[in-house]
Amino acid sequence: MDPKVMAYFAAGIGAGLTIIGGAAGIGRLAAAAMEGIARQPNAAGDIRGAMIVAAGLIEGVTFFSLIVTILLAIK
Amino acid sequence: MSALLLALLLQASPAHAPEAAASPAPKAEHAAEATAPHVPADAHATDAGAPEHGAEAGHGDPATVIMHHATDGPLKVGPFVLPSKHLVFLFAAAALMILIARLALRSYRGGKIPRGLGAAVEGVVLFIRDEIAEPNIGHDDGRRFTPLLCSFFSFILVAALLGLMPFSATSTGNLAVTMGLALVSFAAQQYAGISKYGVAGHFHNLIPPGLPAWLLPIMIPVEILSMFTKPFALMIRLFANMLAGHMVITTLLLLIALMGQISWIGGVVMAPVSIALSLFIMLLEVLVAFIQAYIFTLLSAIFIGMYAHPAH
Repeated sequence: MDPKVMAYFAAGIGAGLTIIGGAAGIGRLAAAAMEGIARQPNAAGDIRGAMIVAAGLIEGVTFFSLIVTILLAIK
Repeated sequence: MSALLLALLLQASPAHAPEAAASPAPKAEHAAEATAPHVPADAHATDAGAPEHGAEAGHGDPATVIMHHATDGPLKVGPFVLPSKHLVFLFAAAALMILIARLALRSYRGGKIPRGLGAAVEGVVLFIRDEIAEPNIGHDDGRRFTPLLCSFFSFILVAALLGLMPFSATSTGNLAVTMGLALVSFAAQQYAGISKYGVAGHFHNLIPPGLPAWLLPIMIPVEILSMFTKPFALMIRLFANMLAGHMVITTLLLLIALMGQISWIGGVVMAPVSIALSLFIMLLEVLVAFIQAYIFTLLSAIFIGMYAHPAH
């Protein structure tokens, strides 16, 4: 197969897998945070802060692989 | 934004011209032609690939447009050509930040209660001191590092919001700029540990107390590595977030041109959809600017706190 075709193919598959991973991580995080807020509404502020930090960490890792796929598609 | 749209329209029109006009012809095409004489059986494959040439040439264009929009390049202001637009907007963000700080300081003259801009800036500074620095670094050390954290927060915020203006560029969407920020953060983390415990004590603190001796060969490299991966992750996170939003907006607007290549009806139908979606992403970018400024500041504070108060 043409290497360029394979690179585009890999970029498409990789982008999809990246989003699956990121969505699963942030989805679980948000579900747990909402459950926590529902059980303990007083702690909503603290939970939200911790949630944003954890979401940022997950997002950071997701962006690593997203950049790899973008480089595959563009370079 | 209007300049971008104009560029897109100009980009779209020559695509209707014959294939010879499509300038960035993919190199793979030449490669295929070069290998074709060797293997006659490939003739069928290259014939089948011929109708895709238009699509592939059209695919080369969006990539160049997106990269042109997202990456650094010369900035043309009238007759002047400045070498780097990211450099210009880096200094613009810094100058704007210093100007806002000086203007805010003015309302403190004469011991008055700050009003207007001064009160707004005071709110941000108090938020960083009370919500970010002190809970994560500790009372005394937190106050020592508050100015640095305020600089991180306001610079990242101003640079990101400046990048959303028309005809501008996001300077934090450049790996070199975020690397500079991350290096400052790294230096602050090491300074926090070394200034309190000395060089030897700082490195000794990296080893958690009560660790079995046979784990040391594993833990020492891991701790040294994590010292460098923390700022590296800060660098990549900020860069990717700033770059990604702009890429998504450009791609959505490019959809108009891509649909317009197929037929003019496609372009007309796609235009309102694309503009609505990119407006949504634009508003999301405002949110992302605040969140990323907060996350960079908060993670810097957490890492500084980790070195200033190691595990007991």
